[in-house]
Amino acid sequence: MATTIEQQGQVAEDWRVGLSDEQLREILRHLKLCRYFDERMEALYRQGKLPGAIYSGRGQEGTHVGVAFALRKDDSLFPTHRDLSAQLTKGLDLNRVMAQFWGRIDGYTRGRDGNSHIGDWQGNRTWTVMSHLPIAYPVACGAALAYQRRNEPRVAMAICGDGATSNGRWHEALNVSAIYRLPVVWVVNNNLYAYSTPNPLEFPLPTIAERSSAYGMPGVRLDAQNVLDVYRVAHEAVERAREGGGPTLIESLSLRWRGHAGHDPAKYVPQELLEEYMTHKDPVRRFEQLLRSRGVVSEQDVADLDERVRAAFEAGYEYALSSPFPEAGDVTKGLFTDDGYWASEPGRGGGTQA
Amino acid sequence: MATTRVESGAAGHGAEPRGKRTDQGEATYLVAIAEALWEEMERDERVYMLGEDIGVYGGAFKVTEGFIERFGAERVMDTPIVEETIVGMALGSAMEGMRPVAEFQYADFMSSGYDEITTALARYHYRSGVPIPVVLRGPSGGGVRASSFHSTNPEPWLAHAPGLKVICPAFPSDAKGLLKAAIRDDNPCVFLEHKWIYRRIKERVSEEPDFLLPIGSADVKRRGDDVTVIAYGMMVHLALEAAETLAGEGIDVEVLDLRTVQPLDRDAILTSVTKTSHALVLYESHRFLGTGAEVASLIAEEAFETLDGPVVRLAPPNVPVPFSPPLEDAYLPQVADIEEAVRKLSAW
Repeated sequence: MATTIEQQGQVAEDWRVGLSDEQLREILRHLKLCRYFDERMEALYRQGKLPGAIYSGRGQEGTHVGVAFALRKDDSLFPTHRDLSAQLTKGLDLNRVMAQFWGRIDGYTRGRDGNSHIGDWQGNRTWTVMSHLPIAYPVACGAALAYQRRNEPRVAMAICGDGATSNGRWHEALNVSAIYRLPVVWVVNNNLYAYSTPNPLEFPLPTIAERSSAYGMPGVRLDAQNVLDVYRVAHEAVERAREGGGPTLIESLSLRWRGHAGHDPAKYVPQELLEEYMTHKDPVRRFEQLLRSRGVVSEQDVADLDERVRAAFEAGYEYALSSPFPEAGDVTKGLFTDDGYWASEPGRGGGTQA
Repeated sequence: MATTRVESGAAGHGAEPRGKRTDQGEATYLVAIAEALWEEMERDERVYMLGEDIGVYGGAFKVTEGFIERFGAERVMDTPIVEETIVGMALGSAMEGMRPVAEFQYADFMSSGYDEITTALARYHYRSGVPIPVVLRGPSGGGVRASSFHSTNPEPWLAHAPGLKVICPAFPSDAKGLLKAAIRDDNPCVFLEHKWIYRRIKERVSEEPDFLLPIGSADVKRRGDDVTVIAYGMMVHLALEAAETLAGEGIDVEVLDLRTVQPLDRDAILTSVTKTSHALVLYESHRFLGTGAEVASLIAEEAFETLDGPVVRLAPPNVPVPFSPPLEDAYLPQVADIEEAVRKLSAW
C-alpha cells in the first residue's frame, strides 16, 4: 500500500538525506533559478515581449528539482510542459532554452516547437515534450525496456500531472511497467487541479498513490513543500529501479500558483488555498530558510546566488534575441533522417527580425 | 513477374502453421514477410518484435510462428492488449538504440494506438533530430469477409500524419525487400500487409541476405500503352486480372503498383500517365479523401496537358466495410468494375 507524508518524521534524523553541502547549495541554485526564470518569463509575456505561450510551474519547484536531482546524467526524464524546472535541473542550457522560447535556431528544437515543449535527448536525456498527456508514459516504458534488456544500470523517470492520471495510457504504462518489472519511476505532480478541474472531479479515491497497490508496486504520497522529502523518496525509487526492484509510483503534492497557461487567471482556485500555499508552503523560501538555519549558506551567499541567477537570465535573454531565426526554406527539412538536416549544422541566415 | 494464385480460402484466423517455400523456391507473401523478419533478427541483435500473441501462439496469422523458439521471449515479446503502449514502448526503445518491429493483430487496431503513432512516433524526429528506427506492421484490407473491424485500410490516416513512411506491398518479393529495408531504416515505417494476399500469391523470392528494395519507389507490374491503372495492395492483383481481359479487346493496360504510399513515387506516376494519356486511380481506402485522391490531384496538376480524358477514381464508398458478401462485393472495386472503368476511359 501507499506510504504517506508521515514518513517525513524521518527527515529530522538525517535532515540532509545524505547530501553534501555542495549538493544542497546546488539544489538551492536550481530552485532559485527556476523560480526567477518563471517569474521573469511571465513578466515578459505580459509585456508582449514573448511570443507563444507560457506554462508556469511556480510553486511546484519542490517536485521538479527534487525528482530530477535524483537522476544520473544517463538516466532519462520524460516530463510535461509544466516541468521545465525539472529539465533545467537535469542539465538543459538556459541560453538554448530561452532561444527556444523566442523561436530561434539555437533552441533545442531549432524553432520547430516553442516554450516548454522542449527536450534534449542526445545531450541530457530529456524527452522533447508533447501536449497529449501522458503521451510519454508509454515511451518511458520503452527506454526502461532497453536498459533492462542490455543490463545497463539506468532508470527512466516520467512526470505527469494529476490530470493525466485519468487517461487510459496512464494505466497501460503502469501496468506494463509492473508486468516486466521495468526500471522506471512514475511521478505524478499533483497540483490539485487539471486546468480548472479539482481533484474530487478527477478521481474517486482520496489519493492517486493508493492506485499503486493495483499494480503491485510501491506507492508514496508526499508533500512537495520540502524539496528534500521529494528528493529522498525519488532517490530511493530511482535506486530501487536501478537495482532491479521495479517501478514506483510517487504522488507529489503542491499547488500551481498561476493559471494553466499565461492567459488563465485561475479564479477557480480559492484565494485562501492559494495564500496558504504561497505563505506557508513555498518550497523555495522554505529550503533557503533551512539551509540558512543549518549554516550551509549565509545571507551573503544567498544574495550572491540571487545575483548570479539574475545575471544568468539576462545573459540568456540576450543570447536568445541575438540568435537567428530558422531559415524559412528549411521548413520541410528534417522530417526524416534521409535529408541529413539534423546531422548537420543548420543555416544561420534567418536574421533576428521576424 | 511470374505469379501463381494459390486458392487457400479466406486468409487468416490462424489455422495454418508458418509455411515453407515450395520445392521450386517460391514463397507466399506471408512466408516472404516471415523470412524478412527472421533474416533481420538473425542479422542484427538490436532488432526485436513486440505485439499481442506473437510468441508461443505465433501471431494471429502465424507470421511469427517458430520465432520464439529461435530468438527467445525477450526478442519475441508478448504484450498485454495495450496498443498505445506497444507503440510508445517501440518509440522509447528505438530512442535508446533498439530496432523494434511491433505487430498489430489487425491494422484496424492501429486506431487504438493512434495518438502514440501520429503524435509521438511521427512527430518526434522533426522536433528533436533523434533517429526513430521503428516498424509497425499488421494485416490490412478487405475481401476476406472479416467485416468492419478486421478489414480496414488505414493508410490515408497514417500517410497524412507527417513523419511516417507507409508501405503497402502487393507481391511476395516486394514485401520481403521492403520489410527488410523498413527494418534497416532510421525512420518510423508502417508496413501494411494485405491479408487477402497472404496465402493467395506466391512467386520466386530472393534469398540474398541484403535483398532490399527502395522505400518510395513504384513498380510497373504490366507494361501497356493505352491506359494507366495506378493501384497498390490487393487492387494490383484485380487490375492485372482485368488487364488480361481488356487485352483481348485491344486495350493495352499499364498497371503501376505504388508499393509505397508515403513517400509517393511522383515520377513513376507522371511518367506512366504521360505515356498513356489515360489515368485510372484504383484504391481500397475510401474514395473520399482516400489515397487515390492525392494521386489524382497530382496528375491533374502536373500532367494535365498530356491527358486525353478525365482522371478517374475507382474506390469504395465512404461507409464502414460491410460483412455480408453482396455488400462487401458492392463495397470493394471488382474486376468487372475495373474493366468497365477502363473501357469508358479509353474511349476518350
